[in-house]
Amino acid sequence: MYSGIVLTHFLFGIGLGIVMHRSDFCMAGAFRDLFLTGDFFRMRALILLVAVTSLLLFIGRISGLVASYPPSFYGVPSLANLAGGLAFGVGMVLAGGCVIGTFYKMGAGNLVSAFAFSGLLFGSLLFAAFHPFHRSFAEATQLSVGYTAVEHVTGSPIVPVIVGVPVALFFLFRGKREGKWKANAYARGYLDPWKAALVISAIIMASFILTGRPLSVTSGYTKIAVYLSDKIFPGYHPSPSAFNYDSVRFFYGKAVDGSREAGVDPVALSQVPLILGVILGSFFSCLALGEFSLPPFPPKKQALSGFAGGVFMAAGSLMAGGCNVWHIMGGLPVFAFQSMLFVAGVCLGSIAGGRLLTKAVLRVEAP
Amino acid sequence: METISLDIRGQICPACLLITLREINTYKTELRAGNACLVIRTDHRDATRTIPGTVCAMGYDITVTNRKGYYEITIGCRK
Repeated sequence: MYSGIVLTHFLFGIGLGIVMHRSDFCMAGAFRDLFLTGDFFRMRALILLVAVTSLLLFIGRISGLVASYPPSFYGVPSLANLAGGLAFGVGMVLAGGCVIGTFYKMGAGNLVSAFAFSGLLFGSLLFAAFHPFHRSFAEATQLSVGYTAVEHVTGSPIVPVIVGVPVALFFLFRGKREGKWKANAYARGYLDPWKAALVISAIIMASFILTGRPLSVTSGYTKIAVYLSDKIFPGYHPSPSAFNYDSVRFFYGKAVDGSREAGVDPVALSQVPLILGVILGSFFSCLALGEFSLPPFPPKKQALSGFAGGVFMAAGSLMAGGCNVWHIMGGLPVFAFQSMLFVAGVCLGSIAGGRLLTKAVLRVEAP
Repeated sequence: METISLDIRGQICPACLLITLREINTYKTELRAGNACLVIRTDHRDATRTIPGTVCAMGYDITVTNRKGYYEITIGCRK
């Protein structure tokens, strides 16, 4: 079974890496552009991704293809999800890409993203230092008792789907009539983001069908960070409880426990191949297009901004219980409250991050 | 005609667009008079969408050339 888990996630990663590189499907850009320049182009594709995934999951549920639904792995919401989203939003704008954006951009040879990746690893370890405070904060600010998704309030899973999905699709198709879906991009092998959104939705759906849960990478890079820390600083473990809880569920609800600690377990076997797949998928896509070259070293401020962004993203992800892959590609389509709070925080963080980036890092005026 | 070169390879988004706009603003008089053109080197795929889209809307002419490992965007005055 384990070789199947590794191969499945690696192939998911390869697919995501290629599609995201071709379309430059940057979720950080979707939020940043919306608030910084008023450009809705990328956000339109992201909304399409969420709406189509939501519809597919609902169909999967009523047809029995999706076993793990409603999503038990999205817990009770708390203000920690909002605070985590806020930190994540600031981080992804400073880093020039979200977590998965960092992976595919790094695969395409972007050095700022490599700094962001090292920031993700460092931030994961830093999180352990304030984990006890974070845990108390999350417990003290829980916003509901037992309610984890909109369907728990409406009493029926179809209500959020029949309200949310048609509204999103109407809005999106109005944009299509106005010709706002197609990009005039000159890049080789460019894939329109709306097409990429459909492919990514299919990959998310495949993940739900085969593993019973959405895609996730946070625990994967946290494990890499803890593994490296154990090698470089043996014996250093600032908060043993910070990384030892998590679980994964594979293949029609067969539960297999794992953790964020270093070591080979189902978390490592699923998330690390996924991360590796995204990086390699993007690398090969870039190579096939004749685009790969080692760029000049980025301006120091941008390199530093990338690293700081990675630290913020790692801390934000661990506070919120997952990054944008977990919450936007998985939680929003199932109307999980945690994910809605995370996205609200990301919006606020993107505004703050945009100001910080233009004023302090780039020192330019936004148009 | 003077050629003003700007190498923004390896820079993060949205630096590509914002730095380009700053340069256009700096050399606005020369570009508008047709005495200069701005040649940008970028490896950012989305910059081949955002820069031409924004700069064309400002009334400038652009050409994009595929080079090995990067894209060259030339901005000049619309004839």
